[in-house]
Amino acid sequence: MTRVPHTVAALAGLSLIGTLAGCSGPNQGASDAEPTQDYTDGEYSATGAYVSPNGEETIDVEVTLADNIVTDLVVTSHPTNPNTKMFQGQFVDGIAGQVVGKNIDELDVSKVAGSSLTSGGFNDAIEQIKADAAA
Amino acid sequence: MPPHSLTFEAIGTHWQIDTAEPLPAALVTALNTRIDRFDRDWSRFRADSLVARISAEPGRWTLPDDAGLLFELYRALYEATDGAVSPLIGRSLEHLGYDQAYSLRPAGRGIPAPHWSDAIAWDGTHLTTLRPVTLDIGAAGKGYLVDIVSGMLRSAGFRDHVIDASGDLRHRGAGSIRVALEHPLDPTKAIGVVTLAGRALCASASNRRAWGDGLHHILDATTGQPTRSVIATWVVADDALIADGLATALFFRDADRFREFDFEHARLFADGRVEFSPGLTEEVFV
Repeated sequence: MTRVPHTVAALAGLSLIGTLAGCSGPNQGASDAEPTQDYTDGEYSATGAYVSPNGEETIDVEVTLADNIVTDLVVTSHPTNPNTKMFQGQFVDGIAGQVVGKNIDELDVSKVAGSSLTSGGFNDAIEQIKADAAA
Repeated sequence: MPPHSLTFEAIGTHWQIDTAEPLPAALVTALNTRIDRFDRDWSRFRADSLVARISAEPGRWTLPDDAGLLFELYRALYEATDGAVSPLIGRSLEHLGYDQAYSLRPAGRGIPAPHWSDAIAWDGTHLTTLRPVTLDIGAAGKGYLVDIVSGMLRSAGFRDHVIDASGDLRHRGAGSIRVALEHPLDPTKAIGVVTLAGRALCASASNRRAWGDGLHHILDATTGQPTRSVIATWVVADDALIADGLATALFFRDADRFREFDFEHARLFADGRVEFSPGLTEEVFV
């Protein structure tokens, strides 16, 4: 692939992630935007570097393109500093939604183990903060 | 199991107890009384609790009978995680806004919990606090209460039962149940299915009680900061106290640190990786 300057690669990675994380399926999201040019199918990878307050940090971004659509995306972070590790963790959190699952409705189970039902007091407080923020 | 379900709200969460026969009213009353006592002893969210009294001033406190197993587990997890899991994390949580009033407004960056030996001494009955400490048993308390309730059901003759305390499950007696492992970022999806027979399954996820700028309730006691690299855990063990405690501890250290315990587990990492221990299940959807 064409090697682009580091900072540009990192920004490109970020915008792709925004597209993927914000919709229900990768294909749907990518096809929303009218491509202004054709891209060659294939796997692309780049390392993005940026200077954080903790020094220089890097992330690897691997993208698979087919018919101008991103069909796969892998982001690997290389945090060297504990603080960066923390912030990259927040950033990479959005990617975890790409883990494949099955619809619980379609499974023959009697129980669900998760913590979607959290404490009433906690949820009430979150709603209050949202209301305050909207006021 | 035939569908007799008792549902109620307790210690801030939803509970369901399934049994073959309905529970008699006297037993339900006894369960409520026991759960309320646990809450009055251990809740960090009530001004009248024992934990609230302990936090006010240093002293020598006689703890309830149920404290023994709890502190034994906490001590083991404290050692195995190099202090990352600690019952002394209460003040750190309050500092980030997870306080009695649920203010959810951080008072600054995280503050570490005090070191165990600097702050408390536990002799099996008495807790001596050398300074004011805010205990928080959130890592294992709910699982422990599930065990206590399960023991009461068994003593009353209800040997076959399922207790579901929203994230902490215990199956006891004949048969088995199939349990979906809920995707923490999408509650309509499962990442796997576990068959549970005579054991406990506890789940923990960092994004469920989250607020503010990346803040959530699973803090590393050595830093007072929310942990980042693991976002969800599931643990199967013989009892819910152990499963619940390990589900928290696995946010901080890998499974090989906890070899003294007999358990199976799964973890979901922030970068999307999933880890399943070999014996947990063959049904994984990744």
